Amino acid sequence: MTTLTAKPPLGAPLPPAARPKPQKTRSIASSRRLSLTVMTSPAVIWFLAFMIVPAISIFVVSLLDWQGLLAKSHFAGLENYQKMLRDPVFWSAVRNTAVHVGVVLAIMIPVSFMLGYYLNTKPRGHRALRVLFFTPALLSISARAMVFFGVFAPGGLVNGVLRAVGLGDIATPWLADPSTSLGVVIFIDLWAGIGFTAILFAARLTSVPTEIYEAAELDGASHWRKMWQVAFPIIKGYVGVVTMLQFLWTLFNSATTVLLLTKGGPGSSSTTLSFMVYNEAFIQSDIGYSQAIGVVLFVVGLVGMLIISRLIRQNY
Amino acid sequence: MAHDRPQHTSPLGYLSHGLVWLYGLLLAVPIYYLLVTAFKDNTAIFSSPAAPPTTFRFDNFINAFQFVDLGHALINSTGITIGAEILTLLLAMPAAYALARSEGKLGEFIEKLFAAGFLIPAFAALVPTVLLAIAMGLFYNPLFLVIFFPATQLPLSVLLLTQFMRAIPKELEESAMMDGASRWAILWRVYTPMIIPGLVTVALLNFLTFWNEYLFSLSILGTDTATRTVQVAVPSLIGQQTTDYGLLAAGCLISLIPVFLVYVLMQRRMENALVAGAVKG
Repeated sequence: MTTLTAKPPLGAPLPPAARPKPQKTRSIASSRRLSLTVMTSPAVIWFLAFMIVPAISIFVVSLLDWQGLLAKSHFAGLENYQKMLRDPVFWSAVRNTAVHVGVVLAIMIPVSFMLGYYLNTKPRGHRALRVLFFTPALLSISARAMVFFGVFAPGGLVNGVLRAVGLGDIATPWLADPSTSLGVVIFIDLWAGIGFTAILFAARLTSVPTEIYEAAELDGASHWRKMWQVAFPIIKGYVGVVTMLQFLWTLFNSATTVLLLTKGGPGSSSTTLSFMVYNEAFIQSDIGYSQAIGVVLFVVGLVGMLIISRLIRQNY
Repeated sequence: MAHDRPQHTSPLGYLSHGLVWLYGLLLAVPIYYLLVTAFKDNTAIFSSPAAPPTTFRFDNFINAFQFVDLGHALINSTGITIGAEILTLLLAMPAAYALARSEGKLGEFIEKLFAAGFLIPAFAALVPTVLLAIAMGLFYNPLFLVIFFPATQLPLSVLLLTQFMRAIPKELEESAMMDGASRWAILWRVYTPMIIPGLVTVALLNFLTFWNEYLFSLSILGTDTATRTVQVAVPSLIGQQTTDYGLLAAGCLISLIPVFLVYVLMQRRMENALVAGAVKG
């Protein structure tokens, strides 16, 4: 009897009549289950070992007193969390993160949606616009930061142009001025994100049948009304998903931009939670404390995602 | 959509065209500034930042290349990108094939796991990953990134490839099995050639992610010239006291060349890949 798992050897197929039919289907079903396990397990194990286990272990590390990557660690209970509540830099980072994420999403999502609608009407020059909108998506976060390091330098483009048009009084060392440093970080995220998000929306809007617009036009609807009362309700679910992803992206990935441009300063004026995770671990060498902030970041991400998805569902 | 183009553009219409192009201009100007800066020295940059260069000197490019040993960094980046890319596809292809053809609960569960994993930003695991590199004895070793990077791109790669493979008719697999082909043979000889467009999409996304990665490369490989990647090498052109902005711009442009080349060669593919990769989850 053939075992259920045995596969016929290559080049020696069994004639179809050699086995009764029910047994054969069972053999295919179970060999399918086995091959599912065998073929997916490398990917699953890899993903668990290098992504999920490290991500979960932040909860454990946050309970440790761990000063430096190569130092010994001790169990410290909730000490890191207590330190956090007393740390003015942490509260400054909470405030900055709220401003950063709030401003970026509030501007990016509506503007991108309108730009996406605009692109989808295929106006003159829309191909050139598409290429322009894509360009920031090709730049690495570090290259992006380097571009704006030059643009916002004391003798860089922005100040040069301001002086040239007689607005030299506004010129400031943008990255080293506590009133503008966070603004620059927000600006860069918007600069890079709006166009690409618009292209995502435009791609989705192509699935809206033209008849629907035509019907709205018969009722005399303007572009503004077609955009918000016809197109938006149809792709609202998609807008929600994109909002969720941009939320996570903005919340977690500001560390690189902040690290390269302002190092969180001056003072803590541009310190975000994301940057603080990096800074506490690798600059201040307080691994446990860094991961306590990492846990906060994780929880904020989770709660924010739930809120956004609840908002989408409520409006359906 | 011709119906969307009114015969007469209203004042509001002109305003919206104007605003859109203003944003387009806002996107173009920093790129233009990067390009012209790369050909100037600090004096020229500070005196007239927006002006085009008066001469096309490539000194900045040559100096950037030598000062921070970009040659070495490019080799490191290339090795890591190619290694991680191959490993990602080798892990993702069989998984995608099995998931595309599975009908049971287990397959569903694994797909959900990857869909949820797509939402976890790799940054969340940055510090534990560095600790893991130390524990594995692979701190400051590019090999660790080759091993680690695939994990960050597996959810997306598996989900996208699964979708592509689902589009292949089942009968093809059944008839190949009748001929006695093993599942591995079916995967590599029947399925792989049929999903080349999907494979290219995924490969492009992975290439972009791996080549452009900064924070893990910095934290795990450090800034030593022997191990650092090109993304880490370029920002080291920022000086402690003063920075030669022309040099920095030139280094930045050098690091963009591979991505730019791929984009020029397959613009459409790249654009479609980025759109597909942004939200699949």
